[in-house]
Amino acid sequence: MNLYTGSVLHVDLTAGTATAMPLRQDWLREYWGGWGLAARYFQEYSAPGTDPLSPDNPVIIMTGPLCGTLVPLSARFCFMSRSPHTGTVFESNAGGAFGPELKFAGFDGMVITGRSEQPVYLFIQDGRAELRDASKLWGLGIFETEEKLQQLTGGAKTLSIGPAGENLVSFSCIGTEAYRQLGRGGTGALFGSKNLKAVACRGTGAVRVADMKGFLSIMTQAKTESLLTADNLWAKTDGTPVLVDLTNEMGIHPTRNFSFGVNTDKSGLDSDAMKAARAGERACWSCPMACGKFTRIDGVEIEGPEYETLCLGGSNCGVNDLASIARFNRLCDDLGLDTISSGATIGLAMDMAEQGLHDFGLRFGEVPEYLAVVEEMARLSTDRGRDLALGVKRLAAKYAAEDLAVESKGMEFPAYEPRGNHGMGLAYATSERGACHLRAFTIFAENPFDGVQLVKDVVAAQNLNAIKWAMCICDFWGTITTEYLARQLSAGLGETVTPDELDRAGERIWNLLRLLNNREGLTAADDSLPRKILTQALRGGPHEGRTLNIDELEAMKSLYYAARGWDANAVPTPATLAALGLLPLTNAEVRHA
Amino acid sequence: MPRILVALPEKCTGCDRCQAACSAAHDGVFAPSLARLGMDNFPLLGRSVPSVCFQCANPDCLAACPEGAIRHDESGTVLVYPDKCTGCGACVDACPWGQIRMGAKNVAVKCDLCAGEPSCVAECSAEALVFTEPDKDLRKRRGMQMKERCAAGSPEGKRAELARRLIAVEK
Repeated sequence: MNLYTGSVLHVDLTAGTATAMPLRQDWLREYWGGWGLAARYFQEYSAPGTDPLSPDNPVIIMTGPLCGTLVPLSARFCFMSRSPHTGTVFESNAGGAFGPELKFAGFDGMVITGRSEQPVYLFIQDGRAELRDASKLWGLGIFETEEKLQQLTGGAKTLSIGPAGENLVSFSCIGTEAYRQLGRGGTGALFGSKNLKAVACRGTGAVRVADMKGFLSIMTQAKTESLLTADNLWAKTDGTPVLVDLTNEMGIHPTRNFSFGVNTDKSGLDSDAMKAARAGERACWSCPMACGKFTRIDGVEIEGPEYETLCLGGSNCGVNDLASIARFNRLCDDLGLDTISSGATIGLAMDMAEQGLHDFGLRFGEVPEYLAVVEEMARLSTDRGRDLALGVKRLAAKYAAEDLAVESKGMEFPAYEPRGNHGMGLAYATSERGACHLRAFTIFAENPFDGVQLVKDVVAAQNLNAIKWAMCICDFWGTITTEYLARQLSAGLGETVTPDELDRAGERIWNLLRLLNNREGLTAADDSLPRKILTQALRGGPHEGRTLNIDELEAMKSLYYAARGWDANAVPTPATLAALGLLPLTNAEVRHA
Repeated sequence: MPRILVALPEKCTGCDRCQAACSAAHDGVFAPSLARLGMDNFPLLGRSVPSVCFQCANPDCLAACPEGAIRHDESGTVLVYPDKCTGCGACVDACPWGQIRMGAKNVAVKCDLCAGEPSCVAECSAEALVFTEPDKDLRKRRGMQMKERCAAGSPEGKRAELARRLIAVEK
């Protein structure tokens, strides 16, 4: 097959089997790969009401059709399941080299179900796979697990979990290549609940294209004329830390548990501070930009920290020195904790102490306890560690601190303050996985409070990102178009692909995700923002005094649902579904559950 | 003066475009396992090490070949002449850096510098692979790398060993 391997690995951990099955080619022209195809597989193999941590909740891992080729930034891979953190359908993607290696091993993706009785890891090599005992790896951090797997397999690319995933912390991560993660909604716990410590993959196969000369020519033109241009080169020169200055200038830099929109003491964690500590540059497979900045400071080495960690683990906790944030980041990466959710939860705990609600021994800006609590959260080794491992929503509920809790659908906010940019509020509220900046990103809007225009921007961005993540193209190719993708796919497949069908696929994927969430009982009421954002004025910076009040939010939501062709309950209308070739989901359609 | 291909590991970001480009140019597919240069990653350390054929003046592979199937061309590039190769593998064992291996048709394959326009270099935006007329420093770098001879093992094993040693030497 061109671009695809044509095979998907089905792993049943209860039965202890790993079987190659043909790729569902009948779904490709509607869902393509990555997020889209994973959503379609998830629909097929999941049943509504399944506990996320039960053996029946399937985990889908999917590459994109361009993964493994020279198309730049195409090597990410997608993870999809139902999240134990939010209860919603949930997608996460990561870079590195695992995705291409899986394709070189002969698989476009994996469907993982069941639960092993003993800890195991899955070893994949050139079309074959087996489950191996992982009892000696259980309990190890991700860095040591990766090192041991290198010795056991001779250079495999790996996915693995640390203590946080083993302990089912609902915002634990799967790590790959030390410093890259499938982050946010508890990918680590999903592996942990299946007693799956790791996946190790080696592949010596090839990805084929129909017309190599044409394929390379289209790739080279896009690389020079679109990718490596002023709009995207910040990733090469600065990486994500450039956002520290930018969001502060915009007044949307979450500081001290989302109380302030600027951090007036940011000089220790901005792009200049990062550049001063830079020891090298790191890239994902196929990426000529290398946004990963390797940092060496005060005896700690790490790829990163990235912007979200600098803000949530830094400014939002009142911690303003790079070395401490780098230590926090490295601990999270090794133990397998999401840095955004961890930083946000620690920030909430600090705020609770400041407001006199509860004292966890954590104070804004006090570093030793801020670092100590990370391991306690991952290992569930203390009372406060167990409390903070609940995440923002459940921690706030336990201590009646809901007024201080900043989350949507149970997902902690990333590092863009919506009171200073209402589009980010709508983006968070309508995201299928809760507050997320990777669905729509409106911080560059001309008028950050123009609800009518922001609704249009959010819908367009969600649709484009849905097809972009289906192709597993990195977020940082900001100028990519479906016109280009259609040409690249046409040369690769040897079939005509049109931009129009890709645009429709993006919208189809977004609607399917909504149906899957509706199936779990989510309604328009869940497209919400927390009270702090709706009612408490932002402090500091150009948007001092602003809220995103409930009327403003509901007005944007109404326009949004209308633009989407959804009814007032956020359910896609029959006409909308018909236009996209979708059917309403019914339990009867779940064939494999 | 002929140009030489040199790897500068401290600049490498690990993107592996070099290997993808090499296999696309020589085999018409994307397959790093077919590439005629090595790439070893050490993510925890933030390092990646590309390794290339040195196109030796006195190649061990050439000396080991009992069939005369490996020769220098007029520009000094060490080439395998497939019609003479019997697939005995003596060259593979002989190269101390793992830069020649057995290909699909039981014929030895190695870097041929793409007839003077290496496809790997064209894709290396980090400038970790350079193809140029060498100055004194570059010749010295190449000489230092050539000192790290790895006697035994598969080509992959020798390249990995070379990579580990270069990280230690060049730190």
